[in-house]
Amino acid sequence: MTTMKRLWGMSIDLDKCTGCGACQISCMQENNMPIFEDDSDIPKRVAFMDLMRVTNDYQGDKKYGEVQIAYVPKMCQQCSGNNPDPKKAVPPCVSVCPAVATDVSDDGVVSQIWSRCIGCRYCQAACPYEARVFNWWKPKYETDFKNSLNPDVSVASRGTVVKCTFCSHIWKRERDKMIAQGITDINQVQYTPACVSACPTGAMKFGDLRDPNSPVYEQKLKNDPRAVRLLHKIDNADPAEQQRRMKIKNYPNPKVYYLTSKQWLRDILSGFQNS
Amino acid sequence: MKFIEFLKDEFNSYSRKSQIALYVLFAIVALFGIFAIQVLFWGLGYTDMNNNFAWGVWIIGDLGLVALGEGAFFTGFFLYIFRVDKLEPIINSTVLLGWMCYLFTLVLLLFDVGQPLRAWFGFAYPNWGPHLMPISMLTEVFWCLSLYFCILCVELVPIVLKQRLLDRYPVVHAIGHYMHKLMWTMAAAGTFLSFFHQGSLGGGMWGVLYAKAQWFRPHFFFLAVVAATAGGTSFMMLIPWIAGKIMKKEVVPKETFYTLAKISGVMFIFYTSFRIYDIYSMAVKYVPAVDRSFMDLWGGLYGIWMLALELILCFVPITMYLVKKFREQEKTLVTGFIAGVSAILVSKMNVLLHGFSVPNFPWRGFTTYNPTIQEWFVFLGCIAIMTLIYMWFVKYTPLFPHLHHSEHASEGHE
Repeated sequence: MTTMKRLWGMSIDLDKCTGCGACQISCMQENNMPIFEDDSDIPKRVAFMDLMRVTNDYQGDKKYGEVQIAYVPKMCQQCSGNNPDPKKAVPPCVSVCPAVATDVSDDGVVSQIWSRCIGCRYCQAACPYEARVFNWWKPKYETDFKNSLNPDVSVASRGTVVKCTFCSHIWKRERDKMIAQGITDINQVQYTPACVSACPTGAMKFGDLRDPNSPVYEQKLKNDPRAVRLLHKIDNADPAEQQRRMKIKNYPNPKVYYLTSKQWLRDILSGFQNS
Repeated sequence: MKFIEFLKDEFNSYSRKSQIALYVLFAIVALFGIFAIQVLFWGLGYTDMNNNFAWGVWIIGDLGLVALGEGAFFTGFFLYIFRVDKLEPIINSTVLLGWMCYLFTLVLLLFDVGQPLRAWFGFAYPNWGPHLMPISMLTEVFWCLSLYFCILCVELVPIVLKQRLLDRYPVVHAIGHYMHKLMWTMAAAGTFLSFFHQGSLGGGMWGVLYAKAQWFRPHFFFLAVVAATAGGTSFMMLIPWIAGKIMKKEVVPKETFYTLAKISGVMFIFYTSFRIYDIYSMAVKYVPAVDRSFMDLWGGLYGIWMLALELILCFVPITMYLVKKFREQEKTLVTGFIAGVSAILVSKMNVLLHGFSVPNFPWRGFTTYNPTIQEWFVFLGCIAIMTLIYMWFVKYTPLFPHLHHSEHASEGHE
C-alpha cells in the first residue's frame, strides 16, 4: 500500500481477556480523563472505555456451578451505517449533531471536537452502545495529575460530550512523523490506540479492516465462527434477509469485533434473546 | 419610593385569594432563581440525568410546551385562513399562550444544554445535509423555533399596543390596527414553520435515532404534528376556561368553545387512529427488524400501563367534544379539555421517560429517573412565570375582547 487511506477497526478476543483493566487505565491516562471524588457513580462517570462485567446469570436462573462471567471492554464501536462505502458512512450519532461537533472520516473514525460541542446530548440519546459520555461536572485534576496531562488531547470543559476516537491524536502525530521521513503509508504498528498497546495478553488487536495482512482483516473476521459484533444480530441472517431488512432501516454496522468460543457470550453480546 | 408604593397598591388591588396565589408564585420564582444560578454556574451534575438517561423533566416540558403551544398556530390558521370567525374571541389568548410556550421552551432548552453560551453554534455551524436539508433535527429545531418565536412576537405586538395607556396615541393605535389586518400573513408563515419544528421537536428528534428500537419509525415526524394540533387546541380552551372560573365571568363565549372543541375532537380522531397504526407498525415491522420483541420494550416502572393510559385519555376528548350532549355540558366539556391535554403530555412521557428507561444491553434492567429539587424548581419556576405573565395580560390588555364588550354593554357605554 502506498496511500494513507486506511479503514481502522478493532478485534477483542474475550477468551484472552482477564479483565485486568489495563486498557481502561491507559485510556484514562492517554485521554486526560478527570477523576471525581466518587467515581463509583458510574452513570455520571467520564470514561471512554467501560470494562463491562457480563454474566450468563443476568436473569438469576443459573444454578451453582453453571454461572460464568466474562469481561467485555467496550468503547465507541465506530459505526458506519448500512452503506459499505466509508465516504458515505452514517453513524447514528453524527447526523443528529446540531453544531457539526462530531463527524466521521473515510478512515472510519468517528471524531468529536470538544470545543464545538454545545452539550445537547442528542448524540448520547442516539448511541445504542452508551459509548458517549457527558461532563456533568467541571473536570478536576488533583495535584500532580495536572503535570501528567497529555498535551495532544484537549481537556474538555464542563457541559460537553466526549468520546473514544481510537486515539486519533496518536494517528495524526505518527502520520506527521512518517511524512517528515518521506513515508506516505502508516500501519497498525506505527499507530496503535492506547488500550491496544496496554493489553498484556494481546487480546486487543487493531488495524486496517481492508488490508489482508492486518490482524483485523474484515473478510476473515466475517467468516470467523468466533466473531460477534455488539447488538448486531442481523449478522446472523442470510444475505437476502439482510438486504430486505436494510431496506427497512439503517443498522449501526460497527467496526469493533468481539471473538469468543463461548456460545452463551456470543448469544448475549449479539443482542436480546427474547425475539 | 414611588415605585414601591405603586407595587404595594398594585398588590393590594388583588383579592385575598389572589394574593395568596401570588405569594406562592413569587416563592416558586425566587427558588427558580436560586436553583437556576446553581445549575448554570456549577453544572448539570445537580440533576438526576446521567449518561444513560440523557434527558429529563426539562425536555418533557419542552416537548409538552411546544406541542401545546401549537394550538396557537392551528387556531390562528382556522381563523385567518379559513375565516372561522367564531374563534375571534379566543385568538388573543391563544397567541399569548403560544408565545409563552415557545419562550419557555427556549428557556428550558438553555438550561438543558451543557454550554448555554455556545447555543449560537446552532446558527453558526448548522448541520445542513445535502441539498440544504438539515440532517440534524436539532438544527431544524433551532431555526424553526427561533423564527416562529419571532413571528409570535409580531403577532403579540397588536395585543400589547391595545393596552389602555398606549392605545391613546393615534400612531400606536394605527400601527396596532394595521398589524392586526396583516396578521393572516403571519398566520400562514407560522403554519409553515410550525409544521416543521413541531414534527422535528416532537417526533423527528426520535424517529431518526435508527439504532434505538424504542424510538425508530420513519413516520414519527407526522405523528407529532397531528398530536400537537389535537392537544394544542384542547390546551387553548383549558386555560381561558380556568381564567374565567377564577374571574367568575364569561371570558369566552360558549360558541367559541364549541367550535374549537369540534376541531380538536376531529384532530383527536386522526391522532388516535394514527397512534394505533403507529403501535401496530412498531410491533410487526420496526421492532422485530432489530431482533427485539415489542412487548419486551414495555417493561419497567413506566411500562405498558402508560401506553394504555395514553390511549384511554385519547378516547375521552373524542367522546366529550363530538357528542353534542356532552359538549354542551360544562363538566363533561372540561373533562375533555383536561383529558386532551393529559393525553399529549402522557404521549411525550411515553417517548422520553419510558424511552430512556429501556435497557440497551440484554444483561441490564429497566432504569428509573427521579428529578432533583433543582430540576423541579427550574421547571415549576417557568410555569409560575408563565402564570404571572398571563395574569398581567388578563388585567391590563384586552386579552378577552368578549369580556371587554360585555362589560361595556352592561355599563351602558356606547
